[in-house]
Amino acid sequence: MQFTKHKGLRLSRKQSENAVAYGFVTIPMALFLFLSVGIFIYAIYISTFDWGIMGPTKSVGLDNYRKAFSDPIFLKAIKNSVKYAVLVVPIQSALGLYLALLVNSKIKGSKFFRSAFYFPSIASSAAITTLFIFLMAPDGVFNSVLRFFGINTSNLFNQGAWLSDSRTALYSIIGLNAWTTSGTMMLFYLANLQTVDSQFAEAAVMDGASRRQVFWYITMPLLKPAHLFVVATGMIGALQLYDQAILAGGADGSPDYSLMTMVLYIYNACFRKFEFGYASAIGVILFVIIFSLTVLQKTLFGSAAWKGEN
Amino acid sequence: MSKFRRYGFYSLLIFYSVLTIVPFLWSLSTSFKPSDEVYQRNLVPNAPTMKAYSTVFGKIQPNFQTLFANSLFIACVVVILHLVFAALAGYAFARLRFPGRDLLFFVVLGCMMIPDQLRLVPMYQLLVKMGLINTGPSNYLAIFLIKAISAADVFLMRQYFLTIPKEMEDAAKIDGAGPFQLFARVMLPSAAPVLATVAILTFQGTWNDLFWPSIVLQSPAHWTLPFGILQFKGQFSTDWPPIMALVVLSTVPILALYTFGQRYIINVQLASSSKG
Repeated sequence: MQFTKHKGLRLSRKQSENAVAYGFVTIPMALFLFLSVGIFIYAIYISTFDWGIMGPTKSVGLDNYRKAFSDPIFLKAIKNSVKYAVLVVPIQSALGLYLALLVNSKIKGSKFFRSAFYFPSIASSAAITTLFIFLMAPDGVFNSVLRFFGINTSNLFNQGAWLSDSRTALYSIIGLNAWTTSGTMMLFYLANLQTVDSQFAEAAVMDGASRRQVFWYITMPLLKPAHLFVVATGMIGALQLYDQAILAGGADGSPDYSLMTMVLYIYNACFRKFEFGYASAIGVILFVIIFSLTVLQKTLFGSAAWKGEN
Repeated sequence: MSKFRRYGFYSLLIFYSVLTIVPFLWSLSTSFKPSDEVYQRNLVPNAPTMKAYSTVFGKIQPNFQTLFANSLFIACVVVILHLVFAALAGYAFARLRFPGRDLLFFVVLGCMMIPDQLRLVPMYQLLVKMGLINTGPSNYLAIFLIKAISAADVFLMRQYFLTIPKEMEDAAKIDGAGPFQLFARVMLPSAAPVLATVAILTFQGTWNDLFWPSIVLQSPAHWTLPFGILQFKGQFSTDWPPIMALVVLSTVPILALYTFGQRYIINVQLASSSKG
């Protein structure tokens, strides 16, 4: 009798503990299930329809996906997004690492330099891109500076119209975004550097290692968690390029679709052509690319990821 | 460090600082220039004028005050939503035991993998069905619903709650605190640094966001600052001083926030990375 009563008491306490826990998680989880999981399934559902402004007209199976890969502008968008990601990620990561190493040394004013280097990362992309469209105009400051150093851009192949020439527009955006994001990457490297024990480097120096050797054989391997994190977040961010493209090139990614990215293409399919089924299919394709890259990165480098799992 | 090396080192640091700061100084300078000076190379305007500012404060529709109020309103509401939901869920996942906890946390991690661009079409369809894509005040609800909760913030809060010593909880329990008192009086105060971080990063992200406002906001009266910059850049095309004034005015609040909160931002990179 005593025993069952005790057991019953414990059970009800367990139940009330559960009730408390569900009290904490019910609303957040309901929001996740509705706004992310449900929306995700709905996206796949929409992508199998011919879905116009009046709603779904007919089920088309995988036709929207087939259509995407036969559209030269979509292929151009994929090419641009991938080219952008492949170029911008190494540049912003290397620059971020370099800046982190610079400000991590024991020098006067390192706090000021750290803030200064992070500065471009805090302003909005709308503000920064607009500013750079102005600075990189044919008569703008950027070309004046180049002229000062003896490079007369008006004689060059694009007459200094960096953002309105299809041969240089994407590269200009790459330069701009490497500059803005390197501050964030620097912070991630700094966080990692502060956990690295300096004993290893000191021991190596005692053993007669050169500065270069210490960097390549000691510091770089110890920064592996930051490398993984910086490359992964950089890649995902790069494939979602939209703001800078629409600001500099408009909805068409002008000139000549040179700034047409995958996300801009979704925007066009959705809000200019009102092909919601098709736009949704492109969204799914983008998700598959990002997801595969993340999985690939995890399997290649082991699951001991930067994000807390180790 | 040799003297020579130190000079080289400092010149590198100063060179890159110039590269990060001068573009912003240039926008500040241009916002005070008369139109005919815009493409001149002088950093200090020869004939400084406030004309650009009187344009953005008065002549443009919507004016700066409206854009600013919208950005502030939307960012503040989203910050509150993120704080509440991330604290609740983060605490439960870190400190409470209940059936299905690991599965639910796995769902949260999965939500971090879903890009906003995939949510665009279904979310838009849903909002149309709910009648939130309109020019009235309920249009704001569309943005709040889209941004109601962030999986990354839940994750961040959980990581932080995991690091709070168990003893603090036990002490409060002995004093007879119930589960919600424990949460509100003990756990939340000790999580203040990470709450500040979530607030700052969410504010910055929402304040700067162009993607969702450009898709959802239907009436100029609801535009945010980044969306306003996108629109006016098209309208003014070559009249740079007012646009630069908008660039300056939209950056100053976020700069102030960063200056005030930078220790939290740097701390959190550490919290989310090294602990677990």
